[in-house]
Amino acid sequence: MKDLNDYFDPGFTVDDILGDSKTSTYVNDAYYALLRADMAEWSGIGTPLTEAERQAHEALILHENWLLDRRNFEQWYQLYTRECSYWIPAAHDLPGNPQFDPQSHVTIAFDDRRRMGDRIVWLRTGVAYSQLPPSYTLHMSTGFVRVPTGRPNEVKIRSQFLLQEMRSSNPVQTLSGWMGHVFKQEDGRWKIDRKLVSLLDGQRGHHNLTYLI
Amino acid sequence: MRDFSEPPIYDDLIETDRVHRTLYTDEAIFREEMNRIYGGTWTYLAHESELPKANDFVRRTLGLRPIIVSRDRDGKVHGLLNRCPHRGATVCRDDAGSTRRFTCPYHNWSFTNSGDLVGVPIEEGYGPNFDKSRLGLGKIRVEVYRGFIFGTLNHELPDLETHLGTAARRLDEWMDRWPGGKISVRNGQHRLMCNGNWKLVSDNSHDGYHPGYSHASLLRMRKDRYGGGVDMQWVLGNVDDGLQRLYDLGNGNTFLDQRPEIERYWYQSAPMPGEDSYAATLRERLGERAEPALDVVMGSGMNLNIFPNLLIIGNQLQVIQPRTVDSTDLIWYSTSIEADDLPPEVNALRMRLQEDFPSFGEPDDLANFEECQAGLSIPEMEWVVTSRHMDTGTEYVDGNGDLAGLPTDELGIRAFWKEWLIRMNATTKLEAK
Repeated sequence: MKDLNDYFDPGFTVDDILGDSKTSTYVNDAYYALLRADMAEWSGIGTPLTEAERQAHEALILHENWLLDRRNFEQWYQLYTRECSYWIPAAHDLPGNPQFDPQSHVTIAFDDRRRMGDRIVWLRTGVAYSQLPPSYTLHMSTGFVRVPTGRPNEVKIRSQFLLQEMRSSNPVQTLSGWMGHVFKQEDGRWKIDRKLVSLLDGQRGHHNLTYLI
Repeated sequence: MRDFSEPPIYDDLIETDRVHRTLYTDEAIFREEMNRIYGGTWTYLAHESELPKANDFVRRTLGLRPIIVSRDRDGKVHGLLNRCPHRGATVCRDDAGSTRRFTCPYHNWSFTNSGDLVGVPIEEGYGPNFDKSRLGLGKIRVEVYRGFIFGTLNHELPDLETHLGTAARRLDEWMDRWPGGKISVRNGQHRLMCNGNWKLVSDNSHDGYHPGYSHASLLRMRKDRYGGGVDMQWVLGNVDDGLQRLYDLGNGNTFLDQRPEIERYWYQSAPMPGEDSYAATLRERLGERAEPALDVVMGSGMNLNIFPNLLIIGNQLQVIQPRTVDSTDLIWYSTSIEADDLPPEVNALRMRLQEDFPSFGEPDDLANFEECQAGLSIPEMEWVVTSRHMDTGTEYVDGNGDLAGLPTDELGIRAFWKEWLIRMNATTKLEAK
């Protein structure tokens, strides 16, 4: 894979996000159909990654975890394609549960690139009291497998995760589940095009889920 | 400081311009509230669209009581206490489903979905005088107003619609934004946990004073990215110079009306994924008829608070579910509109819009409620101020006969405590029958 440093424009700040992707033009019936097709494919039999796949894809997921745990949202944003999504269904037992369909159900998070930008700008306002003081997180991912897909030029990687979160005056919380990352080439690099976070307890209540998973 | 070694006299805790901190922190008061407030008045249980067919049910709580809301074979709605009359086990352990019988897993006593006991294994062991007709599930008095199912254990209250009074008219306005459309509550929900007393949540829902401050993050993000004119910018500055109004609708019900600030719903909506793509699709297909459809994507501009646990905010039903004196679940049920003449894209957009406030607005409020709970634990600081606009001469009676005021008026909080006191002091026996 390309050196991870190639992903990041060192001068890219939250001010650049302010002006980026201010319209929402690609979420439509076809996009929701794509996400339903993805969900069906996530139940496929995964194969452990080859060394090349580890270098290209697992390394990117591990670095994504690292960036989120450092609250480096501006670099995190640069790992994603121009027409990306970050999606956490408010449903459990995926991919089998029909309650997942985001076209007809609200989610814990359904961010296109614009809303991902909104989320970062919101976190950076300095007055988001739910993140003052901030959450410190530890992401741990394991069980990486490549899942077959019928879509050419895309790579689907499934993994299991544990996430611990600590915020001042609050006990440490643990979240767990599986993730699906769909990778696509853009500007000569593999980038994350669609990320799905399937929480073990997505249907239940959560305390202050304002940090990024 | 007051001595509360004796049982509290509630009248001493609520004064015209302030209320006592122990109302938010005292466990004995909380236990009484769960019995007297929840169930002592008409309390929201569920929406009919959640149990659309005969024999459907959902599992809920009334205060802390486990209950079932069911439809019988004829479609009639029932509220049942989820407690086997035999040894006390819950008879229903699923959140939702469809069944003609609830069978207690412990000894297999079985009940119809209207609560009658119809089966007892080896029944002869109870002897010849055993009377099954006296051993049904406890029954809650239930009434439905246009799909909203309420229940009470108070058999002296007037009927639901009379009790709701002008709140029913406001509920009509909320439901009738798309003429002929039916509200559906089958589109998932956000469940937010808050380590604060449940009344901090309801206080806030009729508080037009906090948004410019507690929601500074949401407002600043929007303004920095999209400029003025987008969602909720009307809460900045001195909102009492603006057009919002707050109403006391009686029986503890209140209404914060933001609609006068909205000139064009679609253009003043919060941003949502799919906004530009679906707007283009609809305008291409429907021409000018797309505009009213796009308008019902945006939240209603209404905060309609039905005492004690239903807060209708934007397009959502926010249900307060107390857990302990200092922890509360907030369930934000999302809604869609079912109508033959409403393009389906509208509901896809509504899903995305209804994720906005639970992501960027409500969490900051919940953080503030938790800090209120922390501060209210201090015994030497006894009181909470509720006097805003009490004597500024700005309150008036509106055309419906309801007391009205400016958006930062604390009349909503005062109306809540007035009703709270009536329910807590009531001597009416609460009964399941």
